[in-house]
Amino acid sequence: MVSASTWATPSTRTELIENLVSGVDRYNPSNVGILEDYLYHQIRSEEYDCLANLAILKLYQFNPDLYNPDVVINILIKALTSLPFPDFNLCISLLDERSASTNPDEPDPLPLLLPVLTSLHNLLQQCRFPAFWTLYRSEKAESLRDNYTVECVGFEDSVREVVIRGVKAAFKSIRMERLGNYLNLSDEDLNGYVAKLGWSIEASTGVVSIPPNPDNQIESTVVQEQIELPQLVKVITHTQSA
Amino acid sequence: MAQQRKALWEADLDEELHDVDLNIAIGNYGQNGLYDDAQPRIDESTLLAVQHQVAQQAALAQIPDAVKRFIVHFHQAVLDNNLSEITVAYESGWNRLTEKFYAKTEWPEAEIIAPLVNDDQIFLILYRELYYRHVYSRIQPDIDDRFHSYENSCELFNYLLNSDGPVPLELPEQWLWDIIDEFIYQFQSFCVWRSKVKPKTDEELMLLADAGQAWSSYSVLNVLYSLIQKSKINEHLTALQEGKSADEIVEIVGEYGTKPLYRMLGYFSLIGLLRVHSLLGDFTLALKVMESVELNQKSPFTRVTACHVTTYYYVGFCYIMLRRYPDAIRTFVSILNFILRMRQYHTRSYQYDQINKTADRMYALFAVCNALSPSRVDDNISNTMKEKYGEQFTKMSRGEEGIPAFEELFLYACPKFISANPPPYEDAELLQAHIEESPVEPAQRHLSLFLSDVRAQAPVPTLRSFLKLYTSLDAKKLSNFLDADEEEMVQQLMVMKQASRSISRVENEKGLLGGQMISTSDLDFVIDENMVHIAESTVGRRYAGWFIRNTEHAQRVYDTVHNSPLPIPPKSASQVKADAAAAPPSAAPVSQRTGQRVAWGGNVKAA
Repeated sequence: MVSASTWATPSTRTELIENLVSGVDRYNPSNVGILEDYLYHQIRSEEYDCLANLAILKLYQFNPDLYNPDVVINILIKALTSLPFPDFNLCISLLDERSASTNPDEPDPLPLLLPVLTSLHNLLQQCRFPAFWTLYRSEKAESLRDNYTVECVGFEDSVREVVIRGVKAAFKSIRMERLGNYLNLSDEDLNGYVAKLGWSIEASTGVVSIPPNPDNQIESTVVQEQIELPQLVKVITHTQSA
Repeated sequence: MAQQRKALWEADLDEELHDVDLNIAIGNYGQNGLYDDAQPRIDESTLLAVQHQVAQQAALAQIPDAVKRFIVHFHQAVLDNNLSEITVAYESGWNRLTEKFYAKTEWPEAEIIAPLVNDDQIFLILYRELYYRHVYSRIQPDIDDRFHSYENSCELFNYLLNSDGPVPLELPEQWLWDIIDEFIYQFQSFCVWRSKVKPKTDEELMLLADAGQAWSSYSVLNVLYSLIQKSKINEHLTALQEGKSADEIVEIVGEYGTKPLYRMLGYFSLIGLLRVHSLLGDFTLALKVMESVELNQKSPFTRVTACHVTTYYYVGFCYIMLRRYPDAIRTFVSILNFILRMRQYHTRSYQYDQINKTADRMYALFAVCNALSPSRVDDNISNTMKEKYGEQFTKMSRGEEGIPAFEELFLYACPKFISANPPPYEDAELLQAHIEESPVEPAQRHLSLFLSDVRAQAPVPTLRSFLKLYTSLDAKKLSNFLDADEEEMVQQLMVMKQASRSISRVENEKGLLGGQMISTSDLDFVIDENMVHIAESTVGRRYAGWFIRNTEHAQRVYDTVHNSPLPIPPKSASQVKADAAAAPPSAAPVSQRTGQRVAWGGNVKAA
């Protein structure tokens, strides 16, 4: 079971951050540094805190002077691999349209990278994993890889986790080749990866079986109507008063 | 933390005071410079003042007597804190006179009616609140109206928040809701108007260039947070949920929170925050600020129907943007049923039209959610939805080709989104660039995000219609049927799986953001290597709900019949006269009729 409460309040969130996220101090522009530091901490240590990152974007929304494109790009990269949660679009919602960069010496990298990030997100959301990897490895995404995702520890693995979430729900067993395409792993790495997941490979057929979980166990059921006492309160009260 | 909230508010206030001081200072400075000139100037200004006074008196004389009487009466009711009189004046008197005298023009300005109310500043602030609301709803507000209504709101909130202790004012709950509701409406209206640079006059451009904090997001949030903090409404709600006693709650909420005025303003400000954050596109924060509010219809805070409806509309909408369609559906079904049940009482309310319009938009959103996450829900609401939006619903249930229908309903039913920041009015060069390359409107931005979610699951309806026909089927065969690439089709199956799961509040989690992953579809499948196995859950027919509803209906009919007097044969004209003449003794026939009714009721019961 995936729970929304760990999403809304990750266990890694410190008390300082919690106070910022839940209190009115979140509107104080001078706190943006704390939240930005926290984002870079997430980048380095494979943590993720959507609400704290949204708080940064909120400050940028209200105080356009604070806007820092590198921070926004990093937030979007983190949000990308939170699927099936809607984080990516929630972040984009807060990016108000801004006029073209005012400073010609420091071109804003966001307008160039945003279409790439959005395409990557759409592919991932549509479970078109092989196409995701093709785009990600392509020239179009070069600047994204070289300047950003390379810094984001475990980025590719967190994409693979999105893949695994999709596969685990839909498959009972899957051919090695197909899984390898989804995960963008060659045979050798794939064996290691699958072993780490605790999934078993049938060597003769090359089929990986996926352990049972609530989503890949299906059964036909007939739901019967249940009547709770409160539904009958009016009827019963009336019998008494009549 | 509490102190800092206060500081935030006071900072804003200081700034305003500072502005005032500055003006006075500049004024004095100017006068000193023109000292020689002072004498004739004073004469002139006295003359102007007198002329002004005469003009005002003339304007006052022109006000119809009915309106004058109304204002005097209204003022007295406010002075006496007489809630029932205020309510009558507010809900019926004002609207009646508006229809009669001011359907297309402004009410008299506050300065003109000031003599009628002994120049009572507090009443004049309240009067202006109504005055500007009338301007916004009946007449196009000009730029002065927009800034003045902002100033008046600031004065009102200053009075409420920065007097020595709680103010001794009492107002009907409906009015308190309208104050907050209107404040946010005017903010939203200002932002939309401000974002359109093109049709502005030079004067407007100039005023906008130094608009400062007027109608800024920060200033609006400041008001709402200050009211929330003053009233300790969050603490109050939490205490209620923990089952604290009335005495304990008094202890917790303090001198402000115990006053109905502050308590209700605090609660309405929470709903106001929900709304402002939704308008600004922050759907997570919108739901997060509602953490201590429990959505149910038994809470003492739900007496103002307009507030209740607004709350559910925005909560439901936020759930859509969080892709939590089952939660959105539940929210809409709950409030739409409430509106249906309350309909008979609402026709008389002056907000009936507004509530009906919101209800229509919620039916549209309900159609959208139901197309994205089909489920068996309330038949009553489903049927009404199909009557209103059946055509769009059919299209939306078909995937890709339904996109225009999604677009149509989303744009019709979504909140009036705003941008947090104005166009760069203070910089002519940037403004020109802004005009040449206008940014996308906020509603269009949110629409395109929503449509990207819709597109992602566009293949689902087709897949679903095929899978429904089988219990197991080879993926290759399925892709042949669909005339699609096998690998792509398998990936679409994974999308379908994801679309049939959603985070949802299942066990009354605390807060509106809580929830767990649930399955939302009656059709489930799993892929075993390349073989798709399908299982369908069926819901047995639901009889009980139907019987309960109809039993209750029969009871209502029975009660109505039971309580009505027996039909009286039509009287002849002479009898009517006789009855009218003998008015006092008419008590006897009435009691006789009552007796008859009971006897008749007894008969029915026996039968």
